[in-house]
Amino acid sequence: MGPTEQLHIERTVPDARVDRAEALRYIGYAGQQIDDVLSARFDRVIEHCEQVASPSYAYRIMPLERTDEGMHLVGSTLTLTGSDIARHLDGASACGVLVCTLGLSYERELQQLNRRNELDGLLFGTAGSSLVESVADICETAIVAKAAAAGLRTNTRFSPGYGDLPLTLQPLILDVLDAPRRLGVIANDSNLLIPTKSTTAFIGLFDSDHLVSSVKQSCAQCPCKSHCTLRKQGTPCYR
Amino acid sequence: MLPITDGTVHTRLRNDVRIKDDRLRAVLDGTSFLLFDGAMGTMLQQRGLDAGELPELLCITNPDEITAIHRAYVEAGSLVATTNTFGANELKLGNRAAVEDVFAHAVSCARASGAAYVAADIGPTGALLEPLGTLSFDRAYDLFAREVKAADAAGADLFIIETMTDLLEMKAAVLAAKENSDLPIFATMTFGEDGRTFLGTSPAVAVAALDALGVNALGVNCSLGPDALAPLVTEMLSVATCPVIVQANAGLPSIVDGRTVYSIDPQSYAQSIARIVDAGASIIGGCCGTDPTYIRLLADVLEKRETPAPRSIEQAPRLTSAQNLVELHGRDIAVIGERINPTGKKKLKQALRDKDYDYVINMALDQAEAGSDLLDVNAGLPEIDEGATLIELVKQIQSVCGLPLQIDSSDPAAVEGAVRHYAGKALINSVNGKADNLAAVLPIAAHYGCAVVGLTLDEGGIPSTAEKRFAIAERIVNEANRYGIPREDVYIDCLTMAASTNQSEVIEILRTLRMVKEHLGVRTVLGVSNISFGLPAREVVNSAFLAAAFAAGLDMPILNPMNERFAETVAAWKLLCGQDEGATAFVENFSSYKPMTKRIEETRAEAARTAAAQASAQAAADVAAAATNAAALIAQGIPVGGAPKSAPSAVSSSLGAAAARAFAPSAASAQATAPAAAAGAVFPVTNASRGDVGAVAENTDSASDVSTNGAAADSAASDIPASSTLDAASTELRELVISGRKGAAGEATKRVIAAHDPLYAINECLIPALDVVGDRFEAGTFFLPQLMASAEAAKAGFDVVKSQLASEGTTKADKGPVALATVKGDIHDIGKNIVKMLLENYGFKVYDLGRDVDPSAVLDCIRDHDVKLVGLSALMTTTVHNMKVTIGLIHKEFPDTKVFVGGAVLNEEYAKMVGADYYTKDAAASARVATELFGA
Repeated sequence: MGPTEQLHIERTVPDARVDRAEALRYIGYAGQQIDDVLSARFDRVIEHCEQVASPSYAYRIMPLERTDEGMHLVGSTLTLTGSDIARHLDGASACGVLVCTLGLSYERELQQLNRRNELDGLLFGTAGSSLVESVADICETAIVAKAAAAGLRTNTRFSPGYGDLPLTLQPLILDVLDAPRRLGVIANDSNLLIPTKSTTAFIGLFDSDHLVSSVKQSCAQCPCKSHCTLRKQGTPCYR
Repeated sequence: MLPITDGTVHTRLRNDVRIKDDRLRAVLDGTSFLLFDGAMGTMLQQRGLDAGELPELLCITNPDEITAIHRAYVEAGSLVATTNTFGANELKLGNRAAVEDVFAHAVSCARASGAAYVAADIGPTGALLEPLGTLSFDRAYDLFAREVKAADAAGADLFIIETMTDLLEMKAAVLAAKENSDLPIFATMTFGEDGRTFLGTSPAVAVAALDALGVNALGVNCSLGPDALAPLVTEMLSVATCPVIVQANAGLPSIVDGRTVYSIDPQSYAQSIARIVDAGASIIGGCCGTDPTYIRLLADVLEKRETPAPRSIEQAPRLTSAQNLVELHGRDIAVIGERINPTGKKKLKQALRDKDYDYVINMALDQAEAGSDLLDVNAGLPEIDEGATLIELVKQIQSVCGLPLQIDSSDPAAVEGAVRHYAGKALINSVNGKADNLAAVLPIAAHYGCAVVGLTLDEGGIPSTAEKRFAIAERIVNEANRYGIPREDVYIDCLTMAASTNQSEVIEILRTLRMVKEHLGVRTVLGVSNISFGLPAREVVNSAFLAAAFAAGLDMPILNPMNERFAETVAAWKLLCGQDEGATAFVENFSSYKPMTKRIEETRAEAARTAAAQASAQAAADVAAAATNAAALIAQGIPVGGAPKSAPSAVSSSLGAAAARAFAPSAASAQATAPAAAAGAVFPVTNASRGDVGAVAENTDSASDVSTNGAAADSAASDIPASSTLDAASTELRELVISGRKGAAGEATKRVIAAHDPLYAINECLIPALDVVGDRFEAGTFFLPQLMASAEAAKAGFDVVKSQLASEGTTKADKGPVALATVKGDIHDIGKNIVKMLLENYGFKVYDLGRDVDPSAVLDCIRDHDVKLVGLSALMTTTVHNMKVTIGLIHKEFPDTKVFVGGAVLNEEYAKMVGADYYTKDAAASARVATELFGA
């Protein structure tokens, strides 16, 4: 099996929290006056979201090998194609691959709320988006710790769908992480993840003497940059 | 697919099974142990299988290696070799190998190990079923059926369907096995730390459903280590009537000295399993992380024990969804919500005709909130396809509502379709004593593991005496038993007759109930409300009859859970029969209960206080309305939480007035003295007769105030300004919509309609307010939730307008239709949902096709409903292409149909590029496009 790290699974992520400001930003909040009624309603929804969701994550760290087809994660079936991921993992010696989800309990509740009340559905949806980001942050922290223990440094998360990294990777990532069985995350025919509040990503691991590409995340490579409203507001989609 | 109705499959029960030998027969009887093998995946990974690779293909490419693993387990003592076919379905294999080839090779690898039995492994499809996912039940069934046939043809001895987390997917697999083979079926599910599967199924629910389906053994696998699994297994052991399997994992992997080890070592694993075996589990094996070392120790555990430990099984009537279990012990009762039945319900009929399933789902959720334990689902409407509709309702309801369902239809084919697609153990409503009916429905119930309601009627009609009804009930129970349906799965309905037409039979109904309970030992259901048909004050009669029926032994009343009288009687009986232990629920719900007289007094006092505080004639008139309304509401049994601070409504519906009359019988005599002028002035457009309103006003403490001030209101009313400047009520409604107060907006709309008319409310209040909101949203002073809150408030207003127009018989406010969809590949539907809400509020009929919508579905909708305007949404650059494809097809097939597009990644230019007719940058813009196009 070589040096491949085992699959790490966390079935509960008690520290995951909705970031209220971030959740509001997702639905276009830019300083508007919110009255108490709406504000209290959002607080209730956030609490409900954190209570209903069953967040979990899984990750694996694997050595990287550059092949003619792309970046190969040694010990798995994954080969990452495209110039953007190649740039992201340039110089990396290993790669972390992760999946995070809020679980089907959240998904059922979202479906129910969307049927019951669209505004509650919207608020619950945006709270969930923020919560799954929080789960991803916590998962990333675990990977950073593993990397540090091995004397390695990490860069940021990069997900299928960013730049030219294809969504067709989704089912393969899930299989590598045994996610359908372990976390109940699957990809549908269009390579979209279900539960919808799930995310996958790759993180580069670099030798500490290697200069981690210090290029800050920016909109430069984003295909949406010419008309993105978030960018216009000065609140881009990355943090 | 309706195999029983169509006669393509015979009802298959647990004992209709081909068993390889006597030892296996003893295992299935629960008198002998069986040792399975351990993990396959773990062994393969140890041998260098890459993560993400399909291990099943190794059966073809590396058969010797696979056989070696099987052999290692057999040598360790396993009697069973489980084929390496966990993911060998055509969805996962794709074009890499044929299902039949994989199973043929896998079975021969397993056979070559020398194992006594070859178990064909069937794992989940790897996709999620509709509606959360995209895989249809029928497609899942087909995937499993292909595996089943392949395994049977290859010579397997039994099926092990394992690691399931979705009870419905499990059911598809079990039915595929039942209907395409006669080999024994072992079925295991996998649970998390919370004791539930990913989709919320508990062990008890899994057992109730799978036991009823007639699997030969059931249990748990994977999930957790043996100690964590123990309580889940105990739960199963206490209810399962067949042998229970346990295949725990060996904990979580970690690397020690470069070697993968699992957190639970073989010795502790075996000790834990030994305890589970002593609790009654008789089939054991390993899952992830276990290897032959573990299995060898398990063999020792069984070696030391001669036969499975005896266990006591609680026989009780059980009904389930995929999440909830309704279990009746002793005198426990359960309420079946009756609302999802179109008979006599205009709105539901329309919703079913329009396929507006959200309406039905909300009915389901409302009843769940009101305390129902189960829901009756009926789609009997002559103009729709009952069978197809019933299936759709079952699918939709079970996806969001956790209550078990009672499938209500007299058409056996419709029943079969519905129970086939239902995840849990359903109750079929109903069979009756007619021979042909029993012969058609009982095989369905037996095959799908359902319980049945038996009506005490037969070819001779409904007998009038208890003895004759009892005889039919007995016949139904016996006949059900003959088909393999146990006594606890039969519920007798003694049939409520209207007291107004069959008064003498009421006592007979209660007598039948008692006889059925005492002499047949089965449970009973009863539709309660029929008793009062044709009578006034129906709920008074209903609740008395319900209490009497409970006393006679009724277990499951079918009633409207939203009716307060029913809810009170149910709560009180649960207390009296001991089900509400310690009266906890009762005390919680009724601690602030006030008798009706007290409530009326308080309402009057509050009305009087408000009247005194407000000097103006208009205010006094409102108070009269408030008092009238409150009295009417109380009389209808709706709790009034303190009198409204401002007048809730100037419109007293005819129902309310009638109820008010019922509440105040003296009103009739008061009518003559009611000041007609006052009533007329205060309630200019009310449907209530002047006499009703005046009568109630007269009946309140503040009556004299109201009548004098009411007269003054007449002159005040004539001062209401012309529509160019707004009156206070209209201004208030606008403000309420703008600030998104849906609760108050409905009431405010009633006041505006009372002062003006419904169209005035739309044109002068709701639409202008929405325009203001739209402008603010555009200007960025409002953001999305505020826009939606306003839309909600406006909707509350439009709903009032709609019901007012409907009651006046005016033409409907429906324009359009417009179809909306988020394009294929995209799941972002926030924008689309807002457009839908806004368009509906502007009076357009909207067909919402949802998200990730295939172009063909859009075309079908255009064709079916003659749609001239389609809105498409996409939020990802990757899916804009699908938008273009969809638009291309629409324009090709329906040149008259226009398309507008929206979404974050779009702009005017992109919209042109994808061929859209209009670009709408927000919901307001889409409303403008629609209004322009339809000339509304």
